[in-house]
Amino acid sequence: MRQRERQLGLLYALPLSVFLGLTFLAPIVLVAGFSTMPEKVFELTHMPDFSAYRTVLAQGYWKSVAWSLVLAALATLILLVICWPLAYAMAKVFKRFTLVLTIGVVMTLFVSENIRLFGWVLTLMKGGLIEGYVRSWTGFGFDAPLYNVPVIVFGLVYVYLPFMLFPLAQGISMVPDDARQAAFDLGATRWQILKEIELPLAMPGILVGSLLTFVLAAGAMAESKLLGGRAVITIADEVQTAFTYGQNWPLGSALAMVLIAIIGTLAIWAISKADLDAMMGRKS
Amino acid sequence: MSDASPILRISALTKTFDDFTALHGVDLDVAEGEFLAIVGPSGSGKTTLIRLLVGMDDPTDGAIWLRDQRIDVIPANKRPTCMVFQSLALFPHRTVGQNIEFPLKLRGVKPAVRKERALELLDLLRLPRDYYSKRIQQCSGGEKQRVALARALAFDPEILFFDEPLSALDYRLRKTLEKELKDLHRRTGKTFIYITHSLEEAMVMSDRIAIMRAGRFEQIAPAEEIYARPVSPFVAEFMGEVNFLSLSAGTVAGAELSPAAQAALAGQSGTLVIRPESLRLAPQSADLILSGTVAAEYLLGSRVQYRIDSPAGELTVEVLREDAVAGVGAPVSLGCDISAVHAIAEAEDAAA
Amino acid sequence: MKTSRLASAALLAYGILILAFLYLPLVSVGLASVSKARYLSFPIRKYNTDWYGEALASDTVQNLLWISLKVAGIVTVSSMVVGFLGALAFARYSWRFRKPFQKLILLPIFFPQTVLGLALLMWINALGIVPSWKTAIIAHLVWIAPIATLIVSIRAFSFDPALEEAARDMGATQWQVLREVTIPLLMPGVVSAGLFAFLLSWGNFPLSLFTTGADSTLPEWLFAKMISGYSPLVPTVGMLTVAGSAALVALGLILAWALKRLRPTT
Repeated sequence: MRQRERQLGLLYALPLSVFLGLTFLAPIVLVAGFSTMPEKVFELTHMPDFSAYRTVLAQGYWKSVAWSLVLAALATLILLVICWPLAYAMAKVFKRFTLVLTIGVVMTLFVSENIRLFGWVLTLMKGGLIEGYVRSWTGFGFDAPLYNVPVIVFGLVYVYLPFMLFPLAQGISMVPDDARQAAFDLGATRWQILKEIELPLAMPGILVGSLLTFVLAAGAMAESKLLGGRAVITIADEVQTAFTYGQNWPLGSALAMVLIAIIGTLAIWAISKADLDAMMGRKS
Repeated sequence: MSDASPILRISALTKTFDDFTALHGVDLDVAEGEFLAIVGPSGSGKTTLIRLLVGMDDPTDGAIWLRDQRIDVIPANKRPTCMVFQSLALFPHRTVGQNIEFPLKLRGVKPAVRKERALELLDLLRLPRDYYSKRIQQCSGGEKQRVALARALAFDPEILFFDEPLSALDYRLRKTLEKELKDLHRRTGKTFIYITHSLEEAMVMSDRIAIMRAGRFEQIAPAEEIYARPVSPFVAEFMGEVNFLSLSAGTVAGAELSPAAQAALAGQSGTLVIRPESLRLAPQSADLILSGTVAAEYLLGSRVQYRIDSPAGELTVEVLREDAVAGVGAPVSLGCDISAVHAIAEAEDAAA
Repeated sequence: MKTSRLASAALLAYGILILAFLYLPLVSVGLASVSKARYLSFPIRKYNTDWYGEALASDTVQNLLWISLKVAGIVTVSSMVVGFLGALAFARYSWRFRKPFQKLILLPIFFPQTVLGLALLMWINALGIVPSWKTAIIAHLVWIAPIATLIVSIRAFSFDPALEEAARDMGATQWQVLREVTIPLLMPGVVSAGLFAFLLSWGNFPLSLFTTGADSTLPEWLFAKMISGYSPLVPTVGMLTVAGSAALVALGLILAWALKRLRPTT
């Protein structure tokens, strides 16, 4: 039995492992290799001189990195606050409405991010859905709240809401009702229950949700391009520019490696901490 | 019950869910320092009652008084009572010590004082002091029980409620903890109200037992009284195996009565209750004599139980092993004294 | 400790508000798609659906639709197969490298897609392959196959191993166990994984952007048009892709509901 399971496990894991090895790990190794090449070369056959990394430091690309991280951190914090009450209600209060919300939120994921962000442009622009109707009813118009930093954060919050909401709801559903009631019975106020019982026990969900949103938002660029009018240039945007307009593969690779290092460290740390079997309820 | 004013008074307490009434205006007084067990089968309303008492649900009607204070209008976290949950509800992310200190921490008691009190409670519950920094997951079932009790006692409640906390444990551990709980009650002098579906558990521990059925109290009395003089066949059956004989106008179908028994039962109608251990096989003399044939025989350790087919119906008899007489199929006579017989009058019977 | 009626009502209102927030931009796109004006401005004065006729008649749009469908279709079938096998290794069997395998599966999901797309482009170039819609399928699968594996795994985690053991105890061969027990029990997970795979591929932009070469999918074309200035076809084609997703989700929900009615035991 055990012997058979060992063989089957390896056998069934093989297709996906080989595929990801060839299409995920290998390209990353290639990017790492290119990042060490002299700038503006298109082969790996040159002597590594790490000049691209020097350019990253010298040319102020760190600003893009910092902006991406700050925007991602802001979006994560805001999402944590916005999603907590709703996730709590989905896990503990709503009955049928939880299903409605789940389907409703998941469905937005299937619409291309571009279309949804473009929809916000149409909604917020001068002569858009909001300003247009307000002006026609009241006679007063106002400038579009577009093409600035806050609207980029707004876009990130909008796009990554599901990635915070569902892990949070999952985390909160792991808080036993009895523990909350016992704390209440022992004299805890609503606030003390949140601090002493719910937050610590829902921590796995909070961590997964926060990391997922942070990591995704740190690698985002569509929000700043479409809504922000490039008021801020994100690191992902710089990577793309270096590859396409700049035709500087080593520079693009070096920038990508910076992003990969930051995100990879966080992701690997989180993944190594999480016990997936326990979180997903494996039997036996 | 003493004459002193009760610590807890429940009056006309009613709870209705949509179209189902779980509690029909129940009344109850509990004396200071009493150990009261509330016993009933599932669906009898005992869980609803305790949820109202601790404040996890609001009553539809009626009132709950703690001494002179009406508490049913106060939320659970402001009531001076506390409960030991069926699941124990220990906080898995906290150590044993942190669990016990929890109610003190909520009140802003200083860490040193909290720890001192937690260690005292560990002593009181006979847990080693080094359990203070142990994780909850490392405790055995019985140790978790003691931690839950310690946490409840740290709260220092006026009344301590228990919602079947022993039901998940194995038999031997349950027996040990029942005795410990009784002992703890005596040592702390607190008022304990204990919900259970096991009458056996209730009898071992409590001063008084309240039997619940379909949202009402069927009988509230000390254990011996409930055992000897159940007010209804329901209560009698709840106390364990029992024989029912039908009594009409002073006569019992299928039984011979002595003059003393005739005098005692004269003119009564209803149901006679006889415990299996009150019946004797082949009696020399008895006030009530029955006959039949042995249908089955079961060995119960030091005792033997017989199932007997008789004109009065199927009877269960339990005797000591040395008194065992016959095998299956043998005709037997059996009888008992009138003092061991309890008659439930017609009116009470009809309510059942 | 019960949530009061007022609090429940407030939370319900909050939930509806969040849903409205999520769908508001799509309302704008929808309204824009039926505006007659060539240069959009709210409030809309005249409505018509001419842009839909034009979009559907356009060769470009038809070609885009066809490429997007081909890519999503092949991605769906491949992820269902790979996801099914992967989930058994991920969740069901105890084997030596299970934990590392689980971690390998999660990494691509966390990875920034723009960077992944570029890395793949370099890799494809290095291998001497000309990028086309076929390479986009590979790119989509790097991200979608792990997600499909996770979705089937959720089902596989709640799978009682005793069922397979019982079947084997009754004399079933490995293949019979798979066919009679494992596949039927995991089927609902595989179907929802397929649904997710299609929809995620259908709407994906960052991976397609770098890996389709001269071909183009719907989201790519839309992005190019959005950047280069407003065209009335953008909201129209956008709504067409949304309608396609919505129809598929509706179909999936109806299918799930019908299966539940037909098999009350599961």
